[in-house]
Amino acid sequence: MAGQREAQSVPWFADERPAEVIADGVRLDGRSLEEFRNVFLKTGVISQASGSAYAEFGHTKVMVGVYGPRQSERRVEYSEQGRINVDVKLASFATRQRGIFGQSPEERELSAGVQAALEAAADLASFPKASADVYVLVLEAGGGELGVAATAAALALADAGIELFDIVVACSVSRVDGCLLLDPSTDESFREQGGLVLALLPTSNEVTQLVSRGRWSGSQLREGLELAMGGCAQLESAARQCLKDAAVAAAAKQRHRCS
Amino acid sequence: MTEIVTPGERLALSAEYDAGTGTCVKDTFICATLVGIKRVLPAGQAEAEQRPRVEVVRSGVEPVVPRAGDTVTARVVRINPRLAAVDILCVGPKPVQQRYSGVIRVQDVRATEIDKVKIEASFRPGDVVRAEVLSLGDARSYHLTTAQNQLGVVYARSAAGVPMVPLSWQEMQCPTTKAVENRKVAKLDA
Repeated sequence: MAGQREAQSVPWFADERPAEVIADGVRLDGRSLEEFRNVFLKTGVISQASGSAYAEFGHTKVMVGVYGPRQSERRVEYSEQGRINVDVKLASFATRQRGIFGQSPEERELSAGVQAALEAAADLASFPKASADVYVLVLEAGGGELGVAATAAALALADAGIELFDIVVACSVSRVDGCLLLDPSTDESFREQGGLVLALLPTSNEVTQLVSRGRWSGSQLREGLELAMGGCAQLESAARQCLKDAAVAAAAKQRHRCS
Repeated sequence: MTEIVTPGERLALSAEYDAGTGTCVKDTFICATLVGIKRVLPAGQAEAEQRPRVEVVRSGVEPVVPRAGDTVTARVVRINPRLAAVDILCVGPKPVQQRYSGVIRVQDVRATEIDKVKIEASFRPGDVVRAEVLSLGDARSYHLTTAQNQLGVVYARSAAGVPMVPLSWQEMQCPTTKAVENRKVAKLDA
């Protein structure tokens, strides 16, 4: 059915992307250059999953479910260590153009990126031979999906009770007309000359994933990385607070049940 | 005052404390690996407890994964002359949340005269078995063994569908029909 596969534009999106994304040091959505979008994080959103998380960065909305650790599928070969399987799915209504049937190259790249970001953080020896399956559903792709997905997936792993050496926080930076923008939206990254995504373990500042696009000079890249690390540090406190709130809520619920 | 910690948070110096469950040693620090409540156990008198131990008590359910050496409770799902295929129900006292399959091969059923073992005279589908995890096995299943006195069938129904009573370490009897069936019976503590 070739006709159905052709991408169709969804009518309620603006047809043209804005040509200018910065005016007098203020971005289109009113943020300053080094300001995050509104961040919302919550764990325990899918009751059937072992662990789950929902993350919303402005218009980027991501839902993560972790299942397991459970017995690995039969077709994968034997492994002494545990493994983490990541499957990122962009909902067909997540992007400007309707998604295609089956796994798109973009989804494959996102899956590999999130997997690399998580693998170094999890204690794989704590669940030998079993695998933890991480399913990421991008409900709306508003920019910076890789970073949001990695952050949310780490929260979901922690929610599942899987031993982690550290949580993972990730954020992206775009360079537009010589300005560095923290946490870019799709309109901004569409106009970027260079972009990078940094995922790290915040306690030790160990980098688990770094993706850079476009041309960067050495000094620009250094500035961009510093901005991204600063962004990750801001995210860390939000992520930890989210986990602590969930633990307090769970304890209160248990106490309520006992009394 | 309970302190809730999250993975990666530094709890104490590894030179002053021992790392308990839910923690790991990273450089000179003991870090949490779980979301939960930080607890410090005071140093004891014994040789191994010279230093206070810091640990994290998890909030939420613990994911249970069988490891080599664990005693597990399993249900037999099918048998053939070479092995009994089982589903692991519990690891120690903890029920598993996911399905793990294991096999008890004919040479792992009992400790002596292993060349005379017949699977059909040891296990039947539906039996509940206590076994030990021998190894992680192959890609498909864990390898289990019942080659110890306290391991073997702990619950079995007769052909009439009645839970049977053990007679010896290899026989069980149905209390209603008095029929005797062969099993590798576990010797349970009184």
